[in-house]
Amino acid sequence: MNDLRAVPPILEVNRLSKRYVMNAGFWQQLTRRPPELLHAVDDVSLRIAPGEIFGLVGESGSGKSTLGRCLLRLVEPTAGQVLFKGVDILQLPRAQMQGMRRKLQIIFQDPYSSLNPRMTVRQMLGEVLSVHRLCPPHRVEARVRELLHLVGLPADAVDRFPRHFSGGQRQRIGIARALAMEPEFIVADEPVSAVDVSIQAQVLNLLIDLKAQLGLTMLFIAHDLSVVQHISTRVGVMYMGKLVEMAPRRLLFSQPRHPYTQGLLLAAPQPDPFHHSTRVALEGEPPSPLHPPAGCRFHTRCPLASDRCRQAPPPLQEIGEGHWVACHHHDLAVWPPPAVTPWAA
Amino acid sequence: MSEPSMGMAGRVNDWGLRWREARWLQQPALLVGGGLLLAMVLASLLAKQISPYDPIAQNLSNTLQPPSPVHWFGTDNFGRDIFTRVLHAVQLDLQIGVLSVLFPMVVGLFLGSLAGYLGGWVETVVMRVVDVFTAFPFLVMVIAIIAILGPGLTSMYVALTLAGWSAYARIARGEILVIKKAEYVQAARALGFSNLRIMFRHILPNIVTPAIIFAMSDIVLVILSTTSLSFLGLGVQPPTPEWGSMIAEGRPFIMTAWWLVTLPGMAIVLVGLGLSLLGDGLADVLRTEE
Amino acid sequence: MEPILEVRNLTTQIPTRRGLLTAVDDVSFTLHKGEIFGVVGESGSGKSMTCRSLLRLLPSSARTVQGSAVYRGSDLLRLPPKAFNQVRGREIAMIFQDAMAVLNPVHRIGDQLTEAMLAHRVVATPAEARARAVELLRKVGIPAPERRLQDYPHQFSGGMCQRLVIAIALSCQPQIILADEPTTALDVTIQDQILKLLIGLQHELGVSLVLVTHDMGVVAQSCQRVAVMYAGQIVEIADTVSLFTAPKHPYTRGLLACVPQLAADGEVLPLTPIPGSPPDLVHPPAGCRFHPRCPLASEECRHGTFPLQQVGQQHVSACIKHEELGLLS
Ligand SMILES: Nc1ncnc2c1ncn2[C@@H]1O[C@H](COP(=O)(O)OP(=O)(O)OP(=O)(O)O)[C@@H](O)[C@H]1O
Ligand SMILES: Nc1ncnc2c1ncn2[C@@H]1O[C@H](COP(=O)(O)OP(=O)(O)O)[C@@H](O)[C@H]1O
Ligand code: SF4
Ligand code: SF4
Ligand SMILES: [Mg+2]
Ligand SMILES: [Mg+2]
Repeated sequence: MNDLRAVPPILEVNRLSKRYVMNAGFWQQLTRRPPELLHAVDDVSLRIAPGEIFGLVGESGSGKSTLGRCLLRLVEPTAGQVLFKGVDILQLPRAQMQGMRRKLQIIFQDPYSSLNPRMTVRQMLGEVLSVHRLCPPHRVEARVRELLHLVGLPADAVDRFPRHFSGGQRQRIGIARALAMEPEFIVADEPVSAVDVSIQAQVLNLLIDLKAQLGLTMLFIAHDLSVVQHISTRVGVMYMGKLVEMAPRRLLFSQPRHPYTQGLLLAAPQPDPFHHSTRVALEGEPPSPLHPPAGCRFHTRCPLASDRCRQAPPPLQEIGEGHWVACHHHDLAVWPPPAVTPWAA
Repeated sequence: MSEPSMGMAGRVNDWGLRWREARWLQQPALLVGGGLLLAMVLASLLAKQISPYDPIAQNLSNTLQPPSPVHWFGTDNFGRDIFTRVLHAVQLDLQIGVLSVLFPMVVGLFLGSLAGYLGGWVETVVMRVVDVFTAFPFLVMVIAIIAILGPGLTSMYVALTLAGWSAYARIARGEILVIKKAEYVQAARALGFSNLRIMFRHILPNIVTPAIIFAMSDIVLVILSTTSLSFLGLGVQPPTPEWGSMIAEGRPFIMTAWWLVTLPGMAIVLVGLGLSLLGDGLADVLRTEE
Repeated sequence: MEPILEVRNLTTQIPTRRGLLTAVDDVSFTLHKGEIFGVVGESGSGKSMTCRSLLRLLPSSARTVQGSAVYRGSDLLRLPPKAFNQVRGREIAMIFQDAMAVLNPVHRIGDQLTEAMLAHRVVATPAEARARAVELLRKVGIPAPERRLQDYPHQFSGGMCQRLVIAIALSCQPQIILADEPTTALDVTIQDQILKLLIGLQHELGVSLVLVTHDMGVVAQSCQRVAVMYAGQIVEIADTVSLFTAPKHPYTRGLLACVPQLAADGEVLPLTPIPGSPPDLVHPPAGCRFHPRCPLASEECRHGTFPLQQVGQQHVSACIKHEELGLLS
């Protein structure tokens, strides 16, 4: 997996942007006030090789879900390219896009709202199989059972409605539904954020198993760094719509070079009572996405910010093998930080 | 992989499930309301057996008789037995009530969902039209339309549909805006389903609930408004028995023969009660299903 | 260590469509003066219901059917309403998870902050209350506090709202603060700020803090002692270090084994999930409630009651086989 350049990527994202137009109501149009723009995803490029699990982390509102949905055209990007096996899916006419949908699937965060409350598991999975003629009618039943088995649900689950399942089980149904399409690429948008701790590990292990078993490629979105570290082969960090750092997993977690990544790592509370610090990892809060700061968007919170940072946005540059960072002063960002002192005797 | 487990759902045995599915059986409001309406319909079907009188034939030697063991609801100014006429009118009135709500509901749901789902200019256009229709007082619009089309059942349906759809369109659009954001609709799009399929299979079934609940109270209003129409001679034409026109015809006698107006009025109240009980019960059942 | 709140056999039930749900089942613990006491457990394990029972802020249908909570010689659960209102808010304050929902959107921040102080007569005059409000806002890290008093909650971000809620809780100088997942709704960097703020304030003011969370990381970073809840019951109480190094209940151990940890070298260990899912509290399993998911379960675990037993200094567990657990490597 280290030598990414050797393999042609299965998915390539080039300079992708999504801008939402805010306050474009009737009144605004009437008064000709220019609508405000929200850059949910701003000029993001990345490549994902076959068989990779690319982890995407960032705080809420950083644009992770928007990026994930743009890849499937559930949200239409404003600019940029999404090449799936070399084909720009953003240029595909509708009919061909429907065909492409089979190969690209998504698993959602909320196991409660992502299943239609009025359909049984059989109906849900059966619909997918028959609408896309994924298997002959007489095989549908067997295939449904096979899918349930694959995600670890008992066969008697078929006739139940979503309300009869726990959060973790619903998440499995969502995974089975995505797998029914036999996809080649899956966007998993925070699939474990809404399930219980004890269930989270079940779902993570299931995804790891499925990846190995079916050779899936995945964009795995999460806000929890330890979850991303656990499952990913490569990791990208987003802040206010920008990709600020990207590296193979081991590199990112052992030598993070962006001050924001470092802050995230320090802020994550670790289940280890011998390891703590009284220092606040990152001061301040993300500014309003409607009025992002000039220059580096992180400068309002960055301990290393200089005048240069307030003027020029740092480009994403490769500072080592596969290690990309968007920071003017990445060489000053020391890791691990000095003086992590225990707060209590 | 971890052991498949059904957790709490696993221990619910099938009977437990069925019993809970059959929650509608445990709703007193639903049962009473439904029972009331059913009884009325049955009585009207058996009208000929229950009452020996003809609902239309006049008997001018027997006019304006007060209620008595012979004529339970008394007779009207043409000597017709009011009880018989009330019974015979059940079917027509319920039909009017149901159809005059069904048509606008279908039209309103369709246009409202379209507006909500497609958004953009479709939404703008539909919702502006809705605004215009809502701005007109309901009865004024109905009367105007019937006046143009000429009195009769068909023009009444047309008028009530035109006047009533906008409320349903509003409901549908509001619900759709919520459901559209629900991730299962996003999921359906990700699964490559067509817009039509998403609309009919995944969205509409989930917005029909609030619409039906609204419709139950709407039916009562519609039946009442047919009364007003008959008042103006724009509704069902005499001598066909219909509660609204019966009340309208009885109005001149209200000081001398109260039963002409009051007893058909009671029938409307009874239907209203039945429907609102039914609506409440239905609302409970449908809501808790989610 | 001086006890400040002693909770004994607290049981709270809620009637539901499907039957009586025992949300808090025979819960006992002691809160010591000046400590941060963690309550950890999964969703639905009864953490919030425990806090709400103590402050008598239950949903209208719920009833605390048994138990006592002794604070300064009087039982909070049996105090007459008037006397209880003197305690709630003034001596015992609560911080909720959803700060936005707790703040009243139509009132100015200054008014919400001074309301409790004036009601409990902690300050004599509105001017004094205002001065204290400014000081409190500064203490919880809100910049330019004088100017923010005129703002409304919607002008504050989620993190600032949580700071504000903390300021309100502190306003009457309480002895005890019950914090129900005060950081769960926040982003990790903001969570870190709020946790450190809470810890710092607790140190400075010496209040006793009950910190409810579902996050083992938060517990390890902030609490001195911890209670682990499962299906309405406390299954283990220990000092933080013992709990993390030598848990004496299979559920605690399972929780520790299934949370991913950050590793400095980026290497990861496989996770061991707890099989199954938490039980239905209307029909909980007989015997030890964890037995359907427990790797050590045997016949004797399926019947009887499982009270907390002393298993070490400051360490109690409800598992009858705690000796078989051994040390975690
Ligand atoms: N108003 C209510 N009506 C019925 N049941 C309730 C109500 N509130 C809570 N419960 C039930 O009581 C039990 C305990 O709930 P509680 O809110 O204390 O859990 P918790 O540990 O705080 O969980 P979370 O981590 O999700 O906040 C759960 O089974 C829950 O479903
Ligand atoms: N449909 C939308 N309309 C307007 N703004 C949106 C919409 N969806 C997302 N946004 C905004 O875009 C930004 C990124 O959102 P999102 O991708 O959901 O973030 P994340 O998944 O990282 O939490 C946020 O500021 C969010 O408010
Ligand atoms: S560019 Fe400057 S402000 Fe931005 S992260 Fe780097 S040092 Fe901080
Ligand atoms: S009592 Fe038995 S079932 Fe319960 S935790 Fe201990 S070993 Fe497991
Ligand atoms: Mg998101
Ligand atoms: Mg809670």
